[in-house]
Amino acid sequence: MSENRRRLTDPVTSDSQVRVRSLRGLSRIAYAWLDERTGIRSMVRKGLYEAVPRRGAWAYTLGSATLLLIVNQLITGIFLTMIYVPSTTEGWESLNWIRGHDEFASIVRGMHLWGAYVLLFVLGLHMVRTFFSGSYKRPRETNWLSGVVLFVLVLGLSITGAMLPWDQAAYWTAVVVTNIPSYTPIIGIYLRTLWRGGEFAGPITLLRTYGIHIWILPALLFAFIGIHLYLLRKHAEFGSYVNYRGFFRTLHPRPVIPPAEQPALSEPVPPGQRELEPPYPGVPTDDEWAAPLETDDFYPDQTFKDAVVSLICIAIVFAFGIGIGAPLEAAATQNTTTYTPVPEWFYLPLDQLLVLAPKQLISLALWVPLFGLLLLVILPFVDRGRERNPFERPAVMIVGGLIVLFMLVLTALGSGRLFNL
Amino acid sequence: MVDLAIQLPPHSPEFGGLLGQRIAIGSSFEAHILIAGLVSGASQLGPITEWVGYMRRRPEYDRLAHGIARFLVYYFSIGAAIAILVITALLTGLWGSVWAIINRVGFWPFFIEAWTFFLMVVGSYLWYYTWDLLRDYKGLHMAFGGLLAVASFVQVMMIDVIASYMLTPSQPNNPLRVFLNPTEYPLQIHRTVANLAYMGFAVAAFAGFRYLRSKDAAKRAFFDWAGSYGMIWGIGMTLMQPIVGYSYAKEIQLHAYGAWYKMMQGTLSSEFLGQIFLLGLMFLAGSYYFWRRLHASNAPNQGLLGLLTVLLAVTTVFATLPAHLAFTYNQVLASGKDRPFWEGGWVNPFAAMIPYKVGALIAYSVFAIAGLYWYLRGQREVVWGTARAVEQWVLIASVFMVAAMIVLMGFIRENSRYPDVIAGQVQLSHQQVLSQQLISPVTGLSGTLPPPP
Ligand code: HEM
Ligand code: HEM
Repeated sequence: MSENRRRLTDPVTSDSQVRVRSLRGLSRIAYAWLDERTGIRSMVRKGLYEAVPRRGAWAYTLGSATLLLIVNQLITGIFLTMIYVPSTTEGWESLNWIRGHDEFASIVRGMHLWGAYVLLFVLGLHMVRTFFSGSYKRPRETNWLSGVVLFVLVLGLSITGAMLPWDQAAYWTAVVVTNIPSYTPIIGIYLRTLWRGGEFAGPITLLRTYGIHIWILPALLFAFIGIHLYLLRKHAEFGSYVNYRGFFRTLHPRPVIPPAEQPALSEPVPPGQRELEPPYPGVPTDDEWAAPLETDDFYPDQTFKDAVVSLICIAIVFAFGIGIGAPLEAAATQNTTTYTPVPEWFYLPLDQLLVLAPKQLISLALWVPLFGLLLLVILPFVDRGRERNPFERPAVMIVGGLIVLFMLVLTALGSGRLFNL
Repeated sequence: MVDLAIQLPPHSPEFGGLLGQRIAIGSSFEAHILIAGLVSGASQLGPITEWVGYMRRRPEYDRLAHGIARFLVYYFSIGAAIAILVITALLTGLWGSVWAIINRVGFWPFFIEAWTFFLMVVGSYLWYYTWDLLRDYKGLHMAFGGLLAVASFVQVMMIDVIASYMLTPSQPNNPLRVFLNPTEYPLQIHRTVANLAYMGFAVAAFAGFRYLRSKDAAKRAFFDWAGSYGMIWGIGMTLMQPIVGYSYAKEIQLHAYGAWYKMMQGTLSSEFLGQIFLLGLMFLAGSYYFWRRLHASNAPNQGLLGLLTVLLAVTTVFATLPAHLAFTYNQVLASGKDRPFWEGGWVNPFAAMIPYKVGALIAYSVFAIAGLYWYLRGQREVVWGTARAVEQWVLIASVFMVAAMIVLMGFIRENSRYPDVIAGQVQLSHQQVLSQQLISPVTGLSGTLPPPP
């Protein structure tokens, strides 16, 4: 960064240097005043000054984009609470009414729905990227674990949200999803009754789901985002192996082709070299605390990229929110026989698994996602080698890649049903 | 004007009647698939291998990819030649009228297919012949490989549209519905995965063969490694197949019940059993190879892989148990032996599709993925060039198993809808009627054929 660029955090030597002639001068004085009383300057400085790895920086914008999309859910969600009535008799009515009556609410609702979709997609990308870059390795195991919790919470928010409109689709989602806890051994039926507020999905179910959607899960979500970001700051962004030389890259102990025979590739293998020292934060007591070769400032370099990607995401949400909006099917009635439920797209892999599973094995199929979750949780403790280059971690990458491929295949196989093909 | 009809030969060649025609066309198609499957697999595996080598900066990948490219350039024309033989000479000559209907329904897929051949030729030649020229511009070179991979993917997709349509036809006059007929993407995924696996096994077998014949230490190291690399691809891809194949079968059950019944319970059920057996054998071969290969270098995880090999052997035997001691279930019913074997009947309840066969398929995949994981972890300690002959023979044998599997599957698929060519719409016997009427009303299809383009 060039030295003569002005920074928000540059110190102002004294209030009297600045004259109250311009608005700019005034704001500087106000800032200095505030700083003296709150220490805001050092807070901002701490928040914005941070070295981040330079190479591959665009891939590290996904976390911030996720965050902004969640803020979008929060804002639109709060607006929705002002119009939506959590009741089986009036909930659908309240959403139906805004069609043609309240353009703003329609857009907000559209943005809440499409925001959830884009959020899930970007979150998936964020996970895949941290998986490939091996960001979950020591000392960042807890970053990953808090991320897994966030993942579950967002999935929970999406599925509870999908029940709220109480149209046909929502009703069937409620029936199916509130039944899932009943597969828990021993206490299953009680859990289901607790959620449903009775034996069948009905008014209390909707009210409870609403409480879960707007209070319980968001509270947990923001708490865990706090933990996630705290840990991020504690260990600093790892980024990816391309920022490190030698240490996180294997120098092949036994070349398959003896060196004399090797045809030269354009770039030679970089010499093994260790980089351990600060300025990268962390305690450089151990090899794993290596610092990237080149860093940028979080502000303005990384924040600029973050802003670009986040704004693109929001623009997409906005466009779809206006252009397509959130659908509302006919109000739920228990006694339709003609209705074929269409699954939410992000549950397609699971849904396809359930479609494929013969009746006798359905409960087995429900264990598959739990097993997947277990794999996510144990990942940082199984894959502990220091190697960060995805191409040199074949065991985890190939098996992980196969699992991702497997989910994509299931999605592709099930996608016909989304469009009632 | 002379009446052309008088001068025409009275009918197309007999070729020993319907059976002879079916054998001629069926066997040429099997031969075609055996080569074309490899070519498609190579067009994707080759570029991927080059890219991985580039990312890992390891020359042996580049060398292997180059070898795959050479193979491609040589064999592409053979695969294409057989296709031309089958289509121009046999299909058009023997079953011209039925074939014309397929062409009319599948005009666009065939049209795109033709252009993918062009792209394939351009892609593979560019990719192969610029190898050394573009050594300093790897990015560009890999882009050629990418083009090739995409072209071959689209090529397989187009022919899958036709093949799947013949089994589960949709509305013939709606091109989008023809494309998205119910088994199109299950078949596409199934074949793409299969071609990659097939090519992986082929690489493994070739490397095994060369390893056994090389004396030079450097060559042995290379072929030892290449054999292992090919096997990893073969097993890695094949272990997706139980679920993909199962989905495919499920769609067939939903949309072409007759064909499904024939495969699962009817006259083709013993072939299907053969398929499950071969699949188990392939996983067994892979696991055995992994085990012995680690053992030869005394690398970690040998014990686990030995255990998996035993488990896979047991699973394979269990999965292959026939459901009854007769050729078809109807024969069991006819002989009044519809009882479990311990009550003197012919039925074996432990071979029921659900849960046992399905369970065995799941077990195959789970064991295979565990084996792959442990092998890849242990592989770090492997010293290349120290493999023994046994492992190499397993590599060589595995490609024959895959080939047998492919032939068997082609046989099952094409026979499951016999005598229909397009299930429920066109039969081979219509050939006679059609060639006289020059494509006019056929059962069920009459009003719905698209107008000629
Ligand atoms: C609500 C969802 C989430 C938010 C708001 C969030 C936010 C962030 C942000 C802002 C970063 C730093 C920038 C970046 O590397 O992209 C980050 C890093 C990270 N996240 Fe998340 N994340 C979320 C979910 C997840 C999930 C589901 C996982 C994994 C299961 C995860 C694992 C990680 C890891 C391991 C890092 C460290 C990356 C590194 O240092 O290279 N996060 N997250
Ligand atoms: C990550 C966070 C969130 C996700 C993924 C999410 C997801 C969803 C989804 C998918 C719907 C159904 C939309 C539809 O089908 O029309 C929904 C509805 C709703 N959400 Fe959220 N939501 C989130 C956070 C919030 C928050 C924080 C609030 C309130 C403070 C909120 C309030 C609502 C309300 C009132 C509805 C019902 C209105 C409607 O269905 O359009 N949401 N949510």
